[in-house]
Order: sequence, then C-alpha cells, then structure tokens
Amino acid sequence: MTAKALNIIVTGVGGQGNVLASQVIATAAVDSGYYVSVGETFGASQRGGSVTSHIRVSQVKPYGPLISRGDADFILGFEPLETLRTFTVYGNALSQVIMNVRPNYPLGVLLNEDKYPDIPNLTNKLMTQTQKLWVLEATELAVGVGMPVGTNMVMTGAFAGVKFLPIPLKAYETVLKGLFAGEILDLNLEAFRAGVKAVS
Amino acid sequence: MEQSLLSLRLKQEVIESGNCTRCGLCVGMCPYIKTLNERIAFIHDCGREDGNCYRICPRTPSDWPELDRQVFGQEREDHILGHYQEVLYARSLDKNIAQGGQYGGVVSSLASYLIDSGESQAAILTKSEDYGPPKPFIARTREEVLSCAGSNYSASPTLSILNDGLRQGLDNLVAVGRPCQILAIRKMQGLTEVPEHNLSARKVNFSIGLFCFWSLETEVYAFLKVKTGEREIKKVDIQVKYAVVTTEEGEVQIPVDEFRDFIRPTCHHCFDPTAEFADVSVGSTEYDPEWNTLIIRSPKGQEVVEKARAAGLLETKPYPTERLPLLRNAVLNKKRRVLDGVANDKGYEYWGLSPAYSKGIEEGGEER
Amino acid sequence: MSFLSLQSNEPGRSVLMTGNEAITRGAIEAGLSYAASYPGSPTSEILANLGRLAKEYNLYAEWSVNEKIAIEEAAAASFAGLRSLCIVKQNGLNVALDSLVSIAISGVKAGMVLVVGDDPGAHSSTNEEDSRLLCKVVHIPIFEPSTPEEAKQMTIAAYELSEKFRLPVTLRCVTRISHASGNVTIGEVQNVNKVAAFAKEDRFVTHIAYHQMQEVKLAKIRQIADTLPFNTYTGPEEAKIIIIASGPSALYAGEAVSTLGLENEVGVLKLGITWPLPEKFLLKYMKQAEKVIFVEEIEPFNEDNVMALAAQHIMEIYPIQFYGQKSGHVAGPKGPGLGEMDPDIVKQSLARVLGIENKVTVVRSSLNLEMPDTPGREMAFCAGCPHRASFWAMKSAVALDGRNGVVLGDIGCYSLALMRTGWSLPKTMHAMGSSAGIANGLGKLERFGFKQPVIAVVGDSTFFHSTIPALVNARYTSATFLLVVLDNETTAMTGHQPHPGMSNNAMGEIVEGIHIEDVVKGLNLPVVIQDPYDIKGSTEAVYRLLQTEGTKVLVLRRACALVAAKASTRPRVYVNQGLCIGDDCGCNRFCSATFTCPATIWDLQKGKAMIDEVVCNRCQVCVSLCPQGAIQVEGGTDFDC
Repeated sequence: MTAKALNIIVTGVGGQGNVLASQVIATAAVDSGYYVSVGETFGASQRGGSVTSHIRVSQVKPYGPLISRGDADFILGFEPLETLRTFTVYGNALSQVIMNVRPNYPLGVLLNEDKYPDIPNLTNKLMTQTQKLWVLEATELAVGVGMPVGTNMVMTGAFAGVKFLPIPLKAYETVLKGLFAGEILDLNLEAFRAGVKAVS
Repeated sequence: MEQSLLSLRLKQEVIESGNCTRCGLCVGMCPYIKTLNERIAFIHDCGREDGNCYRICPRTPSDWPELDRQVFGQEREDHILGHYQEVLYARSLDKNIAQGGQYGGVVSSLASYLIDSGESQAAILTKSEDYGPPKPFIARTREEVLSCAGSNYSASPTLSILNDGLRQGLDNLVAVGRPCQILAIRKMQGLTEVPEHNLSARKVNFSIGLFCFWSLETEVYAFLKVKTGEREIKKVDIQVKYAVVTTEEGEVQIPVDEFRDFIRPTCHHCFDPTAEFADVSVGSTEYDPEWNTLIIRSPKGQEVVEKARAAGLLETKPYPTERLPLLRNAVLNKKRRVLDGVANDKGYEYWGLSPAYSKGIEEGGEER
Repeated sequence: MSFLSLQSNEPGRSVLMTGNEAITRGAIEAGLSYAASYPGSPTSEILANLGRLAKEYNLYAEWSVNEKIAIEEAAAASFAGLRSLCIVKQNGLNVALDSLVSIAISGVKAGMVLVVGDDPGAHSSTNEEDSRLLCKVVHIPIFEPSTPEEAKQMTIAAYELSEKFRLPVTLRCVTRISHASGNVTIGEVQNVNKVAAFAKEDRFVTHIAYHQMQEVKLAKIRQIADTLPFNTYTGPEEAKIIIIASGPSALYAGEAVSTLGLENEVGVLKLGITWPLPEKFLLKYMKQAEKVIFVEEIEPFNEDNVMALAAQHIMEIYPIQFYGQKSGHVAGPKGPGLGEMDPDIVKQSLARVLGIENKVTVVRSSLNLEMPDTPGREMAFCAGCPHRASFWAMKSAVALDGRNGVVLGDIGCYSLALMRTGWSLPKTMHAMGSSAGIANGLGKLERFGFKQPVIAVVGDSTFFHSTIPALVNARYTSATFLLVVLDNETTAMTGHQPHPGMSNNAMGEIVEGIHIEDVVKGLNLPVVIQDPYDIKGSTEAVYRLLQTEGTKVLVLRRACALVAAKASTRPRVYVNQGLCIGDDCGCNRFCSATFTCPATIWDLQKGKAMIDEVVCNRCQVCVSLCPQGAIQVEGGTDFDC
C-alpha cells in the first residue's frame, strides 16, 4: 500500500443494505490495523434514494470522510445506474469496479420521463473505461443461498474476494460473527462466501 | 378550447362542469377516478392522451345511429321511444317481490329469473340502508336481488361496482340502470379499438333500463330525513303531484315542487328517459301502482320476458291504448325541451344526434 | 452503526466508530449519569446507544417527549450533581432554546453537555441551520470536532469545562461527524460522582445580575481556549496564506493544500473551540498572514467572529485580506454557505483565492467514451409504508369532497409527501406540530369567507412532541379542522425510537404507553381509528369527518412497514401477468409510477407490472387499487377491494 489513502465507494439504493456492507469492510480494515474514515449518507436509506459510502483506508493517517471527484480507486456498485452515477463523478481509468447487474428503476424511468441506461452497453463502456470490471448477479446469488436481502453480503464477499485491500477473508468473517448469530449468521456467511466464489 | 388529453377533457367537460350523470362506469375501470357518497372525482391526473373513460361516458359525443346498429342491427324508425318490440303492462307473480318492489316488481322479477335460471351469474343493483344514499351492490342470489328492491331517486353511480364483478371473475351479468348507465354500457360494449382490454361491460349479457326523467342530488336524503322528522323511511314513491314517503309510522306526502331544486342539472340535458339501448325498459305506469310499464326492445329482451312469463314469474297485459300517447308525449316533450335548450345555448354541445334523428324528434308526433 | 464498537470496553484498543458512537463512548468515559434527547438526524443514535448501555454503565437514558423537556431534565441532573447530556438536532435546539437561554443564565453544577447535530446540505432535514449562532446568543462555549476520535475527546473535555465554569457546553456536530466513521481509541471510564442530591446552598435562577457573570465566564473561557489541544496549526510557521477551518472542513482543507502542492505556502489553522475564540492563538498566525481563507459549514460564523477580532487588532495584523463566504471565494456549486463542504469545493476555493489553476488530476482512459446519462433518483415512501396509503386516502377524500381542501404537512417520514411519492399533497410544512397550529388559524377563518376544509397531518411522535397544546387551543377556540395522526407506532424517520405512545422506552424497559385516542377523548373531542391499508375505509373516514364542524381527530394506525416486515408472516403478493395489460391499460403504470411503491416495478421487457419480492412488504394496498385485479394475494386479500 502507498502513502496515499485507498479510496473505496460503496453505492446503491436505499434499502439494499450497502451501509452495512461498508461498515463490515471498514471494521475489517480497522481490525487489521489501518486508519479508516467512512463518510456515510444515510438520510435516504430505506427511502429509495441513492445511498453512498466513502471508505478511505490508509496506513499513515486518518483522512476526511469524503473522496474527491475522480479519485475513487474502487467502486462497489449494488445497482447499475448508481454504479454509473458514482463512476461518472468519482471514477477514473485506474478504478476497479464490481457491479451488481440487477436494476432498480427510478421514478422518472417508470414515468417514462427518463431512460434507464442500457445495461449491456453500460457494461461495455465501463469495461473500456476502468482498469477492471467484475459484473455480478449478486441478487440472484443471494436468492440462491436463500436470503434475498443478502445481496449486500454477496457484494461484500466479492469485494473481499478480489483482494483490493490486503486483508484476509477471515477478518471479514470475524466482523460478521460479531454482528450476527445463529441461523442469520450462517446465511450471511453463506452469502459472503458466494460473493467470494463469484469473483475467484 | 384546445385540449389534447382525453382524460383531462373528461375531467373538465364532464366532471368539473357538472355534466356527469354519475353512471359510475369510468370509476371502476380507472384507478384515477373514485366515487364516494354519490360524488365522482378525479383523484389524480393520469396524463393519458387517450382514454376509454372519455369514449364510454354517456355525456361525451355518442353516435346514436351507430349505437342503434350495434344494439339492434338497424337504425330506428321511432324517434320517440326508440327500438321496441312491444310495450306492455307487466307485474311480478312472486308475492315477495311484488311487496318489496316498486309498482309491479318487474325489475326484481326479471333479475332473479336470470340468476335462478343460470343465464346470469349476478345482477348489478343498488341497496339502501336506512334510506340514505344507496350503495352499488352485486346480487348473486334471488334473496340478494330482493334485498335491493325499491326505487331510489338519486344518481347512484351503480356501475362503479361492475368492474368489481369483473375482478371477482363473474361473467354474464345483469345490469339494472338508468338510461345514462345503459348508454355507457353500450358505448363500452361498442369499443373496438381496445380488444385486449378487460372491460366490464363486455361481461353484461342483459340490461334492464329504468325510466328516468331526472335524478336528484344526494342532499335529498337529508331533506327527506327532515321532512319525515328523522323517522325510518321504508319507501319513497314520487308520483305526479306528491312524493309519498312511507315510514314506520305511516305515510308523509311532500309536494313534488319541493323536489325541483334537487333535480340534477345534467338531467335537463338528457333526451333518453326510457333507456332506449336496454334489452328491456321498465318504469311506472303513472296510473296503476300494481303494474309496471315494460318496453321490450331487443330479441333477447323478448326471449327473457317470455321465459319469465312461461316460468310463472311474470304476467303481462296489453298497454292501454289510451295511455300510450301520454307516454309518447311525455318522452317527446322531454326530448324537445333538451333540443330547445341546445338551440338556445350555443356554448352547449349536445352529443350524438344525426340530422335524421334530430329531425325525427322535431317531427315526432302530436302537438308540443 | 454496528454497535459492535461500543460493546468493547478495552482501554487502548482502536476501533471503528461513528461520530455518534464516539460521543456515546466519550460521555460514558466522562462518567455520564443522565441523558435525555428527542430523536433527530444526524444525532439520533447517541441516545439510542446510551439506552442500550444504561445498565452496564449505571446511567439513565430517556427519549423525552420533546427537546425542551430533554434539556430541562439534563439541567436537573446537573443541578443534583450528576454529569448529564442532552442531544438534539439543529431544529431541536430551536425547541430547547427558551429553556437553554435560562439554564445558561442560572448556570449548572455537574458537567452538562449539549450535543447539537447540524445537517449541512439537509441530508435528513427540512433546512440547513447553524446552531453556533444560537449558542452564541445563549452565551455558552462551542466545541467542533473534525473526526470521530476528536468528538470523543472533546466530549470528555466539554464535561471538564462545563463543570469548571458551571455552564452547559455545546458539542457541535455536523452530519459528516455524526454519521462518519473512523478509528477511535477506547479510554478508561472516569470515576465521578454518581450520587444525586440538591445541595442546601444551591439555587439556580435567572436574574439580570447573572448577565455579568456570564460575560466574566466567557472571558475566562476565552483565555483557556488558547491552551486547548483542539486548536491546531499545520503548515509553515511563517505562512502568508492561512486557511481557518473547523469541523471536517479542516481535513478537507489539509487535503486541498496537499493535492494542490501548497504545503510549503499555505497553513491550516483548525479551530476546535469556535466560541469563544482562542484569540491569542488566532492573532499569532494572523499577524504573519496576508491572506486568510475561511472554510466552514453553513453560516460564516468563524468568518464573522474572526474578522471582528481582526478589526479590533487591525493595527497589529495589517496588511491582511479575508476570503470566504462573504467575499464569495469559498463556495460550492450552489453558492457561498449553501450545502456541505467537500474536498473539491475547498480545492476550488483555494485555487480561486490564489489565482491558480485547480489541477484536475483524474486519469481518464484513452478511449474516453461518452457515458450514458444518469437519471436522478427521487426518494419515496418505503414499500408497504402506511403513509403512502394514508396520503392516497386523504387525496381521494379531498378530491371527492370537492371544496379544495387544504392539507397541512408536518415533520416526519410523511414530510416526503411533499414529493411525488405523496403527490405533493401538503400545502404547508414548517416545524414539529406546526400543521396543527396552522390548522387552528385556518379553522377559524370561516367568518372571513373561508370555505375550504382543512386537514392537519402529524405523526404519532409529533403528536406527543408538540401537537397536544394545539389541540387544546383548537378545542378552546372552536377551530374547525381534521387532525390526522399517522400512527405508525414508532418514531420512524430517525430510526424507530420509542415514544410515549409505545410500550417500551429507550432502555428497553416495558412501560404503559399512552393511547393517542385517550388524550383526544380527554379533551372531549371526537376521535376515529382506522387502518390506512384499507384505503376505501380510510377515504370514507376522512370524507365523513370533513363534513362535520369543529375539531376532530382521525388516527390512521398501522405499524411502520420496516418494523412490521421483520415479523411478517403475511401472504405473498404477486402480479398475475396474464391479467395485467401493461402499457395497453389506461392506468398509465398506476401501481409503479403513480403509486410509487418501490416494490411494484415495471417489467420493461414484457411491458407489464411486477412485484419485486425482495422489497415488497406485502401490505396489499396495491391489490385494492389495480383496476384489472392483476395484483393478487396468495390465499386472498384482507380488505374490501
């Protein structure tokens, strides 16, 4: 790791559980000895708005809670449009991106006022504009392990799996074990591992 | 005024202008139009350029000659009573019905015959509770039909419930309604542009039209309550000079003039008091309270009346020859008043008459 | 957020904490005994955390009915010798202000800290408000943390300062502190007095004579401020250009300086205590500076105060030039003082002041293709939210009533009704309980020809917070309006905190809830209770009540879908796509586009409606509204459709 902070953005739509995902990633990083700052906007959480977390990881010092435009090293996108929105503002040619392909249509699209980006086209463009892109059917994977609301854990697993942060998978699982217990823990771990597997 | 959205035109030209007859057909069909307490309102602008609501409304342009062809296979010869096979006196032979119903109980009798015989699954009616504004009701049995017996004089949006019947999977329904309601059903049945639409009127296989020279505003119920000293009202019969209100403690007579202020203005624009597009039309005789006037219009109407008669549920007798001109005159006068109104009111666009039909009414009969 | 960090009590350990968790921990380490609050973003989680930790750390935590009561309780505990905490959001301080002004005059005894959460950019508020201006009016000191770690340290320091000067002390947080997370080192829990007694010799009263004492206290604190570790300076000692910043803006300023490569020219002076100002500390750096740039959030508070200080010492520090909101140099895309700060705004502002290029260092792919447009995303009521049904019922009833009824909005989740998700039904929205107050006024205008029916809408928590006096007034003055209480059995907007209508409290104890209808009946006003999921019944209830004179109350009661969903065993709701005629229907995508339920989505491929079963909370409301009956429930519906 360099002296510069590693900038990670977790983005999605309220209700997708991306705030929890960012907390798991950030806690795993703190537990692994890093300085971490997380900027969270959860006013819109659960209410259908865009919800984004900025995570900044450094070996040197704490950074401010917000990432500058064009300065995201990694984007963990829970939804295609939000991935695109975040990439457009914060992404650069060296950014790495994991994108869940399941769309969540905004009201303007449902009202035929706006056009939702064509996903294959979006994927192609992101492929050429980023250093690396992983496209995931995270929601389907979550449904597959029997926990439709576990998309966030699948995405967290995928993030852990690509090893962007030099943190062992065990560190993430330890955080999950602190958060959940019993059957819920098992389901979350299963979803997390499904995410890891999907990118390996 | 240029107005491209049909839904907005319905809202402005019909509902907000007070022209709405409260037939109720658009209400069930559309999630943006709702009814409560006999009121109809647009809850939210749907934003559609096109709308079945406008097409099926009895107060938007209607092609009467085309409707005649659609329902009866040909244009009419009689411009006063429309198509008909026979005009009769009729009454129910079922004691329960004759007691509960208005006059001869023919509507209840025919509706329950259709249900009992399996020709129809249910009937669209209204049901009163304590003689407040009646509520639309889907009657699936003879008993339920009987529970709906008796006339109401307000403009109940009965057809709002037709769509509920459709949603409940019912088919072959009997619709009982005012002339405007029968017109709305026929307009919906005549829609050919939208075959994929699951339209409720397509589920109506028999229509019983009620004679209606006007309907009253909902406020009349509060008026009746005051007039009867808050007594429970059993029945209201508006006759030529008096309305006879039957309460638990006897009858109260109210001069008909006192009801004039409650007549809905849109009814002054109606020239179909006898439900010309129904299979059969039923009204009072204005003469003999034991009997109804029954106009058999369609072959299907003829068939059903005959079957009901054969089943011993209904009896009929010829219409007294001296009474027929009175009926024709009343209808003709109503139609002429409407046409005169159109002539006097340039801003008022009446709908639907071809020149031949207008002329037919102009020349339609005896002295004015 | 996760609460994991607060379960740790191992001094020396570095854990990830949100600012709110850090403040919670700071208060615990300072030996807090008594905490009171009313929920409000961004600071709601502090009291919620304290409630959960109450037993473990022998403290009392309460969700008070409103902020005025909360601050009075915190003062009471302090009077009795216990360290106390009151937590409010910016608007909550307005409610508490009347009492706080007096508490500052009378003074307190044990340490009393006031945490105020300001919400620059109004992420979860109706407005942006700078509470520092009010604290200045109150004559109390203000700490402004820049990181969660500092938030914890300042909380502890605030107790010491408060106790020393017998004054409440404010910790001003912004959203990017409260809801940001960072490394926080756990410390020891102090052993302070936990025995309450009102000393014989003590009295706490207001009197004009105390004004002088307040000024003396502030003058002393001004001197101490110079010595506090929270005011820092980073950069060349002889810098000609300094940025004066507070809160997270100080971090953005540091980043902007290094990104622009100005480390050898520009210094960053971070103010940790922003009132009263550390004057000597400021003057030291201003004497050598030629340009001073202010970076702060919401109002130009530091800018005004520091410029006033500079004016007083102008002969010592001349020549000097000031840049900030007032000069227009420090401004985000919306303009000076509007919206929150971020590193890019500071960078841009700094470049603007120095007349240099704001170097864009973003690496772009050589194949710089044009990316698709990104349509915006509006907020909406959650899937199954009873408010959506309630507003549709009110909208329907008002339309059917036909007299241009006026719906008055209030503060809570249902404020979202101002947007398309509530069809923009409310015509007014102000403060907590204001709808009922405004309805009191409109409800008596009949004598001036006013004929429109009036509906005031409040939530259950808002009902207890500040609606009851308005109801009393309405009864007393015979105002005609309908008060609709959207009772979702929780304080939903801020994260499901309990309130007096519920059967639990902040510490998880079982209590006897107060029924809203009992309060109304106690005023001898008519009250009707109705389930909003039954849209037809709710519409009828609203319509019927609008036809009556006088004040009346309709309680639309149905648990918040987010709470209910957790325990839900309701049957599955699905679209029978055989019945849905999609875009051919005249409904214009009613279920998804008009009713805006996030769970009713559109299958763009098939052109038909579908239910996102991951999101659906199975309320069945859409079932009753689909004109085709295409939305169905396994095993049949609960309501008359």
